Amino acid sequence: MSSSTNMNALSQAEMERFQKLSNEFEPDVQGPLVSTKQSSHTIALDYANADPTLAAKTNDLAVTHPTTRIMKGDGNCGWRAVAFGYFETMFNNRDPIRLQEELIRFKTLNSYLDQVGHQEHLYEIFADATEEIFAQTAQAIQNGDRDESFLVNAFNEEYSSNAVITHFRLLTSAWMKLNPDRYQAYLTMPLDQYCGTRIEPVRSEIDEVGLQALVDGVINPSQFGVEILYLDRSEGEHVTPHQISDKCPIHATIRLLYRPDSGHYDILYRAEPTVNMTPMVNLQYDMTSNLEAWDQGALNFDVSSHLMSIPNLMADPGFGMGTPMSPMAPSVSPTPASPFRMSPPQEIYQSPMQSHVPSHPQSHASIPSIPVASPPPQVMPSAAPPPMTTLPSRSSDGPQIRLNPLVMKPNLSRSLPVTTPFKK
Amino acid sequence: MEDSQNSAPDALEATKLNNSGQRTETQSVTKRLQAELMQLMLSPSPGISAFPDGDGNLLSWTATITGPTETPYENLNLKLSFSFPNTYPYSAPTVLFKTPIYHPNVDFSGRICLDILKDKWSAVYNVQTVLLSLQSLLGEPNNASPLNAQAAELWDNDQEEFKRQVLARHLDLDDE
Repeated sequence: MSSSTNMNALSQAEMERFQKLSNEFEPDVQGPLVSTKQSSHTIALDYANADPTLAAKTNDLAVTHPTTRIMKGDGNCGWRAVAFGYFETMFNNRDPIRLQEELIRFKTLNSYLDQVGHQEHLYEIFADATEEIFAQTAQAIQNGDRDESFLVNAFNEEYSSNAVITHFRLLTSAWMKLNPDRYQAYLTMPLDQYCGTRIEPVRSEIDEVGLQALVDGVINPSQFGVEILYLDRSEGEHVTPHQISDKCPIHATIRLLYRPDSGHYDILYRAEPTVNMTPMVNLQYDMTSNLEAWDQGALNFDVSSHLMSIPNLMADPGFGMGTPMSPMAPSVSPTPASPFRMSPPQEIYQSPMQSHVPSHPQSHASIPSIPVASPPPQVMPSAAPPPMTTLPSRSSDGPQIRLNPLVMKPNLSRSLPVTTPFKK
Repeated sequence: MEDSQNSAPDALEATKLNNSGQRTETQSVTKRLQAELMQLMLSPSPGISAFPDGDGNLLSWTATITGPTETPYENLNLKLSFSFPNTYPYSAPTVLFKTPIYHPNVDFSGRICLDILKDKWSAVYNVQTVLLSLQSLLGEPNNASPLNAQAAELWDNDQEEFKRQVLARHLDLDDE
């Protein structure tokens, strides 16, 4: 900068002032390769005396993302943040089967390396190091370890850290070479040259195209999301998040803080309630939508035996018949528009949830206001109205019917569709 | 008393871990270099060869490249030394020309200016790729950043004189 002419002295001085303000932060080149989790207030402190926009944004960040993990600024930080974030997310997922699937996927990815002409005797030590981290993660899950210090240790060990990062670099480079049309337009040089000078060299900083390719080729198939929070000087009080994974993350999201001025990446952790993501609760959500978008409070619903035992919450009479009813209004008699005739008391549908509870038809007869739209019990098939025959086996599925918590929102109370019977 | 009983095995454990960490690193360099040597012997490239020095130390090698045809170095045999750090392949080997060579990107001590031996080093580069790169550097010097400015200038302006300088500087080393 000092070598430039002073033709634009004023704007140059202005530029330098901003540069100085925003460059207060210097990536740590002394600390560990991967730090332990720490408060994001340390980031806010870095910027306390800098550009007011950055100070405001980092203060806000400390609230929305209260913990962080600092990466050593040695040129590998972006690569290391993604690789560590990937394994930490796998560990937190605690699903040995998925872990095994991911290990197999990584072994398959090595065929990219063969396809672009890498020799196995050269890349196998890198692939082995990645497999070793998978094995350690599997062991930690099996042991029931709750903390990820084994991963922090592995990534702070120069040898395995370098090897895993090299493996991720080579996979990314190979992925780009196999999908050149996707990336060439964003590059200022031929793709092979880009890979040889920006992706593969040890300690070369990841740039935006490289990060996108890393996520596309290596991370995306895991269905983990990757979100980058840009700490730039744009308007506003929040850091700008960018989702760079191409589909809705189903399992979890790896979040990175990016500081454009220094090109540095760290890991961020959002403030969120701890959700017990056991597969039992999870499977149904996998089939439907993004877990994170849902009301967390609703999670308790379908595991609540009290709610589940309310018969009319269990089985929507409109299900399968295209005629939504209002089972949420037990005190209202069926309207004349109802397609269902008033059933005699002995035909009142007995909730499958109550089938194990001693119950007599006579007890129902004393409650005339109970909606009568439910299908009759199977013991009386001859009494069933014609439409009910479309649901012959539902009552036997009984307790396995689950409600989609999403539809429990107040504005959806008119209709209460149930999900398909949930079978294990 | 209790303290010392507890700390002693811990310290022992820590030492053991440290040792095994270092062993892993050395083993990985050794394993990698053995794999490279095997590859060079099984599928040799024309005009290049390399072998570890005879002292049982796999971390230092001597290599030979033959000057490519239609270059001033045609038919010249050039010896080089490879010195591998413990962090290999995450750091580049130190490569020097042992044979005196007149070239824009090599200084008079045999030090080489080549990006893949510096900031563009990648962990999949290896003895073979380095030798092939050096071979092509002989025929295509990078005159934008010369170590030998006179050589760069002659290369561009007076190929005859350049070739005379190459042959004058060259000195065949005896096999040890």
